[in-house]
Amino acid sequence: AAALMLCTFTVMGKAEGSVAREEWHGHVTALSVAPEFRRLGLAAKLMELLEEISEKKGGFFVDLFVRVSNQVAVNMYKQLGYSVYRTVLEYYSASNGEPDEDAYDMRKALSRDTEKKSIIPLPHPVRPEDIE
Amino acid sequence: SDYLDNGNNKMAIQQADKLLKKHKDLHCAKVLKAIGLQRTGKQDEAYALAQEVAALEPTDDNSLQALTILYREMHRPELVTKLYEAAVKKVPNSEEYHSHLFMAYARVGEYKKMQQAGMALYKIVPKNPYYFWSVMSLIMQSISAQDENLSKTMFLPLAERMVEKMVKEDKIEAEAEVELYYMILERLEKYKEALDVVRGKLGEKLTSELQSRENKCMAMYKKLRRWPECNALSRKLLLKNSDDWQFYITYFDSAFQLIDESWTPPPEEEHSLEGEVHYSIEQAVKFIEERITEESKSSRPRRGPYLAKLELIRRLRYRGCNDEYKLGDPEELMFQYFKKFGDKPCCFTDLQVFVDLLPSSQYTKFISQLLEVTPLSATAENEIALPADTKALQQHLCVVQLSRLLGIYHAMDKKQKLTAVWELMLRYRHGLEFGKSCLKTELQFSDYYCLLAVHLLLDLWLEGEEAAVWQCLTLLEEGLSHSPSNAQFKLLLIRIYCRLGAFEPVAELYSSLDAKHIQHDTIGYLLTRYAESLGHYTAASQSCNFALRFFHSNQKDTSEYIIQAYKYGAFEKIPEFIAFRNRLNSSLHFAQVRTERMFLDLLLEANISTSLEESIKSMSLSPEEDDIPWKDLRDNRDLTVLFNWDPKDRDISEEHRKLSLEEETMWLRIRSLTLRLVSGLPTLSHTIQPKNSEKTAENGVSSKIDTIRSLLQQLEAAVDSGKKFLEQKIQYPVLGPPPTRMAGFFSNGSCQCQTSLFYLVSDIYELDTNGLEDSAEIQERIGNSFKSLVERLTDLFNKCKGDLIEVRDGTLKTHPNLLENLVFFVETISIALWVSSYCDGVLRPFKSNLQKKKKKKKESSVAMPPVFTHFLDYVTELQILTSNVIDHIKGLEIILTALKLEELSLKDTLLLQEEKKFTKTVQGKVQSSYHHSVQEIGELLKKRLDTIKKLKI
Repeated sequence: AAALMLCTFTVMGKAEGSVAREEWHGHVTALSVAPEFRRLGLAAKLMELLEEISEKKGGFFVDLFVRVSNQVAVNMYKQLGYSVYRTVLEYYSASNGEPDEDAYDMRKALSRDTEKKSIIPLPHPVRPEDIE
Repeated sequence: SDYLDNGNNKMAIQQADKLLKKHKDLHCAKVLKAIGLQRTGKQDEAYALAQEVAALEPTDDNSLQALTILYREMHRPELVTKLYEAAVKKVPNSEEYHSHLFMAYARVGEYKKMQQAGMALYKIVPKNPYYFWSVMSLIMQSISAQDENLSKTMFLPLAERMVEKMVKEDKIEAEAEVELYYMILERLEKYKEALDVVRGKLGEKLTSELQSRENKCMAMYKKLRRWPECNALSRKLLLKNSDDWQFYITYFDSAFQLIDESWTPPPEEEHSLEGEVHYSIEQAVKFIEERITEESKSSRPRRGPYLAKLELIRRLRYRGCNDEYKLGDPEELMFQYFKKFGDKPCCFTDLQVFVDLLPSSQYTKFISQLLEVTPLSATAENEIALPADTKALQQHLCVVQLSRLLGIYHAMDKKQKLTAVWELMLRYRHGLEFGKSCLKTELQFSDYYCLLAVHLLLDLWLEGEEAAVWQCLTLLEEGLSHSPSNAQFKLLLIRIYCRLGAFEPVAELYSSLDAKHIQHDTIGYLLTRYAESLGHYTAASQSCNFALRFFHSNQKDTSEYIIQAYKYGAFEKIPEFIAFRNRLNSSLHFAQVRTERMFLDLLLEANISTSLEESIKSMSLSPEEDDIPWKDLRDNRDLTVLFNWDPKDRDISEEHRKLSLEEETMWLRIRSLTLRLVSGLPTLSHTIQPKNSEKTAENGVSSKIDTIRSLLQQLEAAVDSGKKFLEQKIQYPVLGPPPTRMAGFFSNGSCQCQTSLFYLVSDIYELDTNGLEDSAEIQERIGNSFKSLVERLTDLFNKCKGDLIEVRDGTLKTHPNLLENLVFFVETISIALWVSSYCDGVLRPFKSNLQKKKKKKKESSVAMPPVFTHFLDYVTELQILTSNVIDHIKGLEIILTALKLEELSLKDTLLLQEEKKFTKTVQGKVQSSYHHSVQEIGELLKKRLDTIKKLKI
């Protein structure tokens, strides 16, 4: 049954930010599911796990960056309860002469953020150098 | 220092100089200047300046940090430790300097000193992390200790006591500390104690990983062979999540263990620490059936329970039970599974595991059964029924993949196969409709149809159908144009182009794969195996460089990871990082690219742009030194990176992997010995020996020739085992490991030429030490060697003759072996010329001596010894031969240019217009690649020819 372990996805999360400023949160650095193992809800499952851990660690929210053009991913995250907190301009540097691409910073509040303050959208986009 | 940050090193040096004029002893300015010097290539000056400052044992932050940066850039991390050792002596209470010292030790792996530094830190500032840095350093000492006993009786128990002390004083704070405790106990094989820690109060801190406690408990139960707990815990976890496959495995393993032990639960007590235990087949069957019933109620379909049932059947069959437990017929269960999950891309890999449960007589029936429930519809009669949406497409694709796995396509005759290809391509093109809105980064839904069609064509090609391989390339290029991110298309294109001898398109394809990091090790072989052997020398150097850059930076990166792990308390990762580094350092591919890169440099430069001696020196090559870890070589190649759906008996087997590693190792040995032999040539020359100490010099040289002779013996032995290996005539699957160049090396005669050349070296050395007096026999031997070498090299040339690409019955046929032979010829003639220049160096002084004598005697009675004529004849022959090969190559170039592929009548009327377009592209690419090869080989050979002219004495 080893073949079933071929499922090659990665979720890297880190707990960062400071508790005092209610910024302590879980962050998804990368998430990918191999083509053969798509359409099984694995990404949702993995996000669920990260949220669970972040809850245990007492985080205020979970966040992630996603390419603005990656509609499939943006929709999936929306379905999982994430919302766009802000746009980060030219976050993804492109190769071969194409323009740099913007990112959405998407967030989902955890139970510790009772008033859901962490996800109130920012009115203006930010530059990559302005994000901490 | 802004200048340094901006990369303006010259300005930085100037600014530093200005500052130093004003304040002569401004340490920091000196170091900044040194950094500038280092970055402008003045390493020696930089080092001297840095040492000047370091000798003063600076304690200011700026100097220390700047020196740290400098030493790191100099790749001298050990100097940083010295720096901070001095600093903490002067400022013994600095937390900062002590912690820098600890990290400096960590970079160089000084575990013992780390342990002390950690404790010193803890004494200054009693923070837990410092204490545990010290503990971790003890574990590292135990891991690196050669003596396992020492590690188990000293380092680990000491670490354990250190942690226990903190536990007793109730000072354990962080999760990392508990992890560390667990790690120590596990390594001490104190599994019971480890279990108690995980299950106890301390275990509550384990939250970063999901089910961290459960997983650790399970690991300990297994070590302790506590099957009741294993079983009960798996059961509990499966009740929570019936899709976690690993727990089915432990559930079954433990249940069958208990059955075999006839275990029974203790009366009137809990079954186990973890609750209820299943210890009979009936219970297991019931449990799985319940999971299935449970699943059918859940909103999201789960595969686990159904696959678990098949797994249970397989295990029962293995034990000789067939259907006593009424689990059902595997064929029917797989059919049901397909009905439920056939539209998921993973359905194929799920079922693949269990096809062994089907009797081969049922294959066709099974497939048609699946087809029957696949919703396809034909628009008209006689037309192929097609899927109406992506779900139906995926289901059908699964059936096709299973058909291939069950060998149904393999059993077809040529005509059936061609029809199948046509149908698959029709389905492929039809399926593109569903993916019109796909992004460039997404795959097309129907890509696998195309890939499967190509696999069928590959079968036909291997059966001798020459045209099929061109159609493979055509279809793959077509597929790639619609699905530019499909790595499988690219990988297969790479493999086929290489097999046809066309490397040029490969470089671009590979670079578009965007291989990163470890992939330079795992799939780099796709490039490095072929670039050099097909005469794409520039690309070959580049591919080696990609890999080497990764391997070298890995060394540095790993230190950084380790430092980070200490900082964040990720202790359990540290041994993993180190194991990873070791694994890369002993990588087969690393050793190969190291060797081939040096070979290439010599081939392209030695005695052309720099002397052989200088080239060898600049690579710090020496005949005595062997830096390849032969015993620990690790094959990190990913040999299954190319997908296939082949039945087990045609697939890449463990045996293939083993044999391929064996072959690669043998070939590497031959290459590395040859390289070391070449590197020994300059050491034999008198010219580099100091003249005044003749006695010692002679001793030095005589040990050099011993080295050469011993290497030659080793080479002979390596060649023998290589020949024996090849007698097995192993055929790897076409998608599996590529064969090495060894077979060509033997069959075209390069091997014999090269070994004879090194024997010649030995003879010439003998003549050199013996002198010309009484050397008739040696001279004759040398003369004969020259003659037979010319014959052998001529034979080798003959093996290069013929058309590289020919048109036969309207189909192109390439002869990549001719190209490979040409490359071997160039290499062999290069070695011949290096040996000749050694010979020249020996004979020249003899000749001038003789001529002096001649002048003195003023008569012609001093006869010229025959070896001079022999050598002159030999060099002349080499020159003629090389010129002939160059002419031959020119001829090949002309033929290749004249080859008008557009006029090639593409007889196959089945080809669509679009296909014809891709076929032209593909053939053009191959033609252009051959042209490129021949040009590069020709240019190099011309440069070699020029070097011959210098040899005429």
